[in-house]
Amino acid sequence: MTDVSSGGVTHHDVVCPFCGLGCDDVSLTVRGNAVEAGEGACGRAAALFRRSADPAPSARVMGREVALDEALAAAAELVSAARSPVYGGLGTDVDGVRALIKLASKTGGSVDHYASTGLFRNLSTSQRKGWIATTLAEVRNHCDLLVVIGPDPSEAFHRLYNRITPPTGRFIKGKRKVVFLGGAPSDEARAQLEGVEIQTIAVPEGELLDALSRLQGLLSDAPAVPGGPDLAALAEGLKGAHYGVLAWSAGMLGGDGDLIVERASIIVDILNVDTRAACLPLAGRDNLIGANQAFLWNIGFPLRTAFRGGQADHDQLLNSTEEALKSGDLLIWTSAFRPEQPPAFEGQLVAFAHPDTIFEREPEVFVPVGQPGLDHRGLAFRTDTVVSIPLGHYRDAGLPSIAMVAKGLRERLS
Amino acid sequence: MSAVRITGGKVLDPANGEVGVERDVFIQDGRIAASGAVGEGVTETIDAKGGVVMAGAIDIHTHIAGGKSNIARLLMVEEQRAIREPAGPFCACGGGLSTMTAHATGCRYVEMGYTAAFEPAVVGANARHMHYEMGDIPFLDTGGYLVLGNDDFLLDLIASGAGQQAVNDYVAWMLAATKCMAIKIVNPGGINAFKFNARRLDLDEANPHYEITPRKILTTLIRAVTELGLAHPIHLHGCNLGVPGNEQTTLDTIAATEGLPLHMTHVQFHSYGTEGDRKFSSGAAKIAEAVNKNPNISIDVGQIMFGQTVTASADLMSQHRNRGIATPKRWIGMDIEMDAACGIVPFEYKDKSFVNALQWAIGLELFLLVEDPWRIFLTTDHPNGAPFTTYPHLLRLLMDKPFRDEQFAKLPKSARKHSILNELKREYTLEEIAIVTRAAPAKILGLTDRGHLGAGAAGDVVIYRDDPDREAMFSKAEYVLKDGRVVVKDGEIVDVVYGRTHSVAPDYDKSMDAKLDRWFDQAIGFKAKTFKMRDHEIRDGQGTVVHATKRSA
Repeated sequence: MTDVSSGGVTHHDVVCPFCGLGCDDVSLTVRGNAVEAGEGACGRAAALFRRSADPAPSARVMGREVALDEALAAAAELVSAARSPVYGGLGTDVDGVRALIKLASKTGGSVDHYASTGLFRNLSTSQRKGWIATTLAEVRNHCDLLVVIGPDPSEAFHRLYNRITPPTGRFIKGKRKVVFLGGAPSDEARAQLEGVEIQTIAVPEGELLDALSRLQGLLSDAPAVPGGPDLAALAEGLKGAHYGVLAWSAGMLGGDGDLIVERASIIVDILNVDTRAACLPLAGRDNLIGANQAFLWNIGFPLRTAFRGGQADHDQLLNSTEEALKSGDLLIWTSAFRPEQPPAFEGQLVAFAHPDTIFEREPEVFVPVGQPGLDHRGLAFRTDTVVSIPLGHYRDAGLPSIAMVAKGLRERLS
Repeated sequence: MSAVRITGGKVLDPANGEVGVERDVFIQDGRIAASGAVGEGVTETIDAKGGVVMAGAIDIHTHIAGGKSNIARLLMVEEQRAIREPAGPFCACGGGLSTMTAHATGCRYVEMGYTAAFEPAVVGANARHMHYEMGDIPFLDTGGYLVLGNDDFLLDLIASGAGQQAVNDYVAWMLAATKCMAIKIVNPGGINAFKFNARRLDLDEANPHYEITPRKILTTLIRAVTELGLAHPIHLHGCNLGVPGNEQTTLDTIAATEGLPLHMTHVQFHSYGTEGDRKFSSGAAKIAEAVNKNPNISIDVGQIMFGQTVTASADLMSQHRNRGIATPKRWIGMDIEMDAACGIVPFEYKDKSFVNALQWAIGLELFLLVEDPWRIFLTTDHPNGAPFTTYPHLLRLLMDKPFRDEQFAKLPKSARKHSILNELKREYTLEEIAIVTRAAPAKILGLTDRGHLGAGAAGDVVIYRDDPDREAMFSKAEYVLKDGRVVVKDGEIVDVVYGRTHSVAPDYDKSMDAKLDRWFDQAIGFKAKTFKMRDHEIRDGQGTVVHATKRSA
């Protein structure tokens, strides 16, 4: 749906690609190159969609403005000469990821997404032990008791409670309840949870894992784990709930986040013997989940996979961007959703990145790229890994997609 | 213009009544041409002397894509590390066997002479992922069967007495939105009931929330696809998968159809009796007898083979029940979006296990006891019974009784005692193999231009060396042509091409749009128009091949 007025074109029901909730009720007004988000956009989405009327910047080589062709030729020289390329960022749609997989499998090098820390905390449990998980609409309709573990995820997923815990749900009898265990809802979260019973259980700093162990003990009639807070009522609540959900944003959990995730998944396993329960692991900024999915179906491994000599291998420690940069000599940074700054690095830098990216130092090659869901169509995945969302094309600022740029670069390699 | 002439091969084309006729086959511009039509224009001649020429094979039930396949890859990381796609000019750095990646899937299928494979479990919420992933599988034409029968919108329609017409409109709306080609039901109502904490649901047991039975859901959807005029009948994964004694459920399900067409899938897993001291026995004879008597029923087998695999199903109710037998000990379940669910449980079938050995024998008994090759299909329910790469071995088991007996003799005595397999003398002929792998799948899916070599058919042609070792023969085709292009030569891939995606789009009353707009806004929490797939999303804008239905758009 679009409205045309002298002030530009307003598009309604635009799908938002940023946080992983996939809200699709955003309105965008486009005047030439300028973009302003209106109704439906949360504060963060509005800031990320906003564009000035300025023309898109040119590509640059060593700070010198050049045509795209010349930038790609320079990038091809650097990539060909590189001993150990590192593909970082990966903030792109599924087509962009597919093109980067093809490029990296040709040049060799490790591949990781810049926001994958939480994903790998989750995978350390799901891959090794497994879990019972759920999706946003299941929570919305079935979940009578939501337990949010650790810091409030709505700091990253702004409209989370609007989406998953409105006051009424199709199968919910009585009042829905949300318990914050070891975290507290923001004011905005409280506003979204109006009509829902909220309880906050404080957990001393660093003791969240102990608290979950205590909860597990209470559910499995194991010897009591000493300490506070008292979680007997929460345990009873979960046993009595029709469909309890344990949610967390693994990226916000601390260093023992992987153990917290494992403990939560065990609690859900125990509950499912007699009643129903599920995990809702939240992670998924800038199509992180879509990048991981495309890796799994094309390569067979999750992200943090490296290509060497025509073979792929996965190692979630060695192939993280941070580790890979220690031995890498070239960083190929891709970030189309937001002006995410590449990590500090002394080697060479090729950036296919958001036009507003501020670099600590001028990259050897910079190609400004369009945003999926604004400058071109694309596909991104929601945080729950099941639903994928179609992203639209709303303006023509002359910015190529990462898929186009990566393909162009690959074609220039001998 | 290009034209290929295949000379001197024995043509096996049962759809057109040709059994081993030695004649030339012509392919012009990607399609089979009549011999007189090509004239002087032949640009390539292939000598097939001593070979057998068939249409490209079609797999009607193979889990090749989607969220559950990715979960399986994630869980089976050891397999992914151990089995990598061999490096070569057409390598795509993938891997796996039971969890094979997209590019490898296309390669391994086409080497065996398969040129089409259909994904039988597309959960609506995951349809977009499914299509993108299928688009990365080379060589194969694909399509998906949409999973209905546990979706809350449908159960609500049935429970509230909205009527058959409303159900038909909804089914048509969902097919259009997800670009699928058939309807699959998985454990009708059972997956949904598990969300309300039911642990089992028999054919005549009511769903705890909607108070409707699997029988009601099944018969309503059978009527819907019949009235919409879909070529493929309801593709049913029945109640009580894997439960000893489920042979009765399967027989009752056949009776419930009242003569309307029904395809029952991986029936091996639904053919278990409770006889013997272990309370587990073969129901194959009873099931085969019922299939033989009811011409409206077709089945695929879901043969198991011994070895490590992973079971991936929308049936979380059953998979939760099976979680204790996971090998290695890990499994993932998901409730999905008011739509369905999934459960992924790694499993190793062992020939020393009484139950697994008998499962193996039950599958083969079904193959040999069902008389009409047009109503039984060759599947392992990849990867649930075994990876599809075991098909050549399975073909030899069906075609070679001494070989079959040799394998049977290796099983534990306790299992052999419960099977009549060594009494079954039947050996499938090459013609029957051409039927169960080509002609019949095309027919039951309504793919009129596939599975045969008549003029106008797709130029998907396979030449096999006529080797008495049928396993060797079907493992590597001498030649495979996809849409008239040579893609396999001497069992090796020589070119990469991509197939098309097939769908149906029966018409529906447009008042269904408003109802689903409201449903998505209120229950699902995003918009119906976001859910609906567009043509530009299929294979980089190619769109689907839309097949005609009785009630056409």
